[in-house]
Amino acid sequence: MRQSETPVKVWDAPVRLFHWLLVLLIAFQYLSAKMKGDWMTWHVYSGYTILALVFFRILWGFAGSSTARFSTFLAGPGAAIGFIKKLLTRAPAPYASHNPLGGWMVVLLLVVLLVQAGTGLFANDDIATEGPLAGLIAKELSDRLTAIHYWNFNLLLLLAGVHIAAVLYHWGIMKENLLGAMFTGVKHLPADAAAGGAGARFASPWLALVLLAVAALAVYLIVKRPF
Amino acid sequence: MRTKLLAAAVTVALGALASQAFAQAKPDVLVKQRQAAMTLQGKYLGPIGAMLKGARPYDADVVAVNATFLENLARMPWDGFDPSTKGEKSRAKPAVFTDTAKFKAASDLLEETTAKLGAAARAKNEAGVRATFGPVAKACGGCHDSYREK
Repeated sequence: MRQSETPVKVWDAPVRLFHWLLVLLIAFQYLSAKMKGDWMTWHVYSGYTILALVFFRILWGFAGSSTARFSTFLAGPGAAIGFIKKLLTRAPAPYASHNPLGGWMVVLLLVVLLVQAGTGLFANDDIATEGPLAGLIAKELSDRLTAIHYWNFNLLLLLAGVHIAAVLYHWGIMKENLLGAMFTGVKHLPADAAAGGAGARFASPWLALVLLAVAALAVYLIVKRPF
Repeated sequence: MRTKLLAAAVTVALGALASQAFAQAKPDVLVKQRQAAMTLQGKYLGPIGAMLKGARPYDADVVAVNATFLENLARMPWDGFDPSTKGEKSRAKPAVFTDTAKFKAASDLLEETTAKLGAAARAKNEAGVRATFGPVAKACGGCHDSYREK
């Protein structure tokens, strides 16, 4: 932490919990798919959990804390290009929320996760596991969606790799510790960016719980189709 | 003596016919054979999996029948992977025909694991079925990963 920097809380607990749960569950999805056999039952349950988390994060992006909102961190192409120039010249460019590229990575990762969980609902492994909606469609279509489920995971790994590389770039080259902030919620920002961060409004954790319950109910209705 | 000779001759002739019959199985028929065997494996494995997950009630008699079919079906696909089928349209990877020792080991694993599942199922041993089911599903999937196009 440099002298002129101020600690500012930017990430609320729901964002941080969402992030690290997702990391753990995605790792579990990879491992359980490799282990096969009895692990596939848990692969399916873990997939439901991921889908609920993604639904929650989308809701939180509209109704949650200001730093978690899409409207805060989604920037136009001009801002993105300006940010790339700063990255390349190593000019400091700290943001209280996501930077213009990071914001688009958030959206991209959420979309890829929706595709992954969505195809999983209709997938089958030609053994003894199938998604809860696979029975609703023809086997051939289920096979195609299974292929997408497979290839899209590689895309997810690629994006996660880019994401981690970017965090390392910020750490090593830009001297910004984004990783620590995702644990503690606190970024150390220079005065001007800190002023922006100080205006952050944090939504109630109770609202987060309610939205999580809504997300979980949506997944339950999709999976069980009680109506 | 003459009868015995005749019988021997007929046996040899039949044997030759039989082996010729195998040799003459057309590549597209061999592909259908192995695909049919695996489709049926899925048909008989699926309900056991659903019962173990609690998606439908456990029925030891159905499990015994299904597991026994499965055990026999597990032996049936392999002579369908004849080199003559290399050019046929299927999802078999070329490694099936180049990596033959490992492919054989993978097919042996399915036969071994389904034999254990079959024995437990016929003994109406639900705990045994539960313990031997996973290795069967793993044997299926392990071979698919290495030898089947996505």
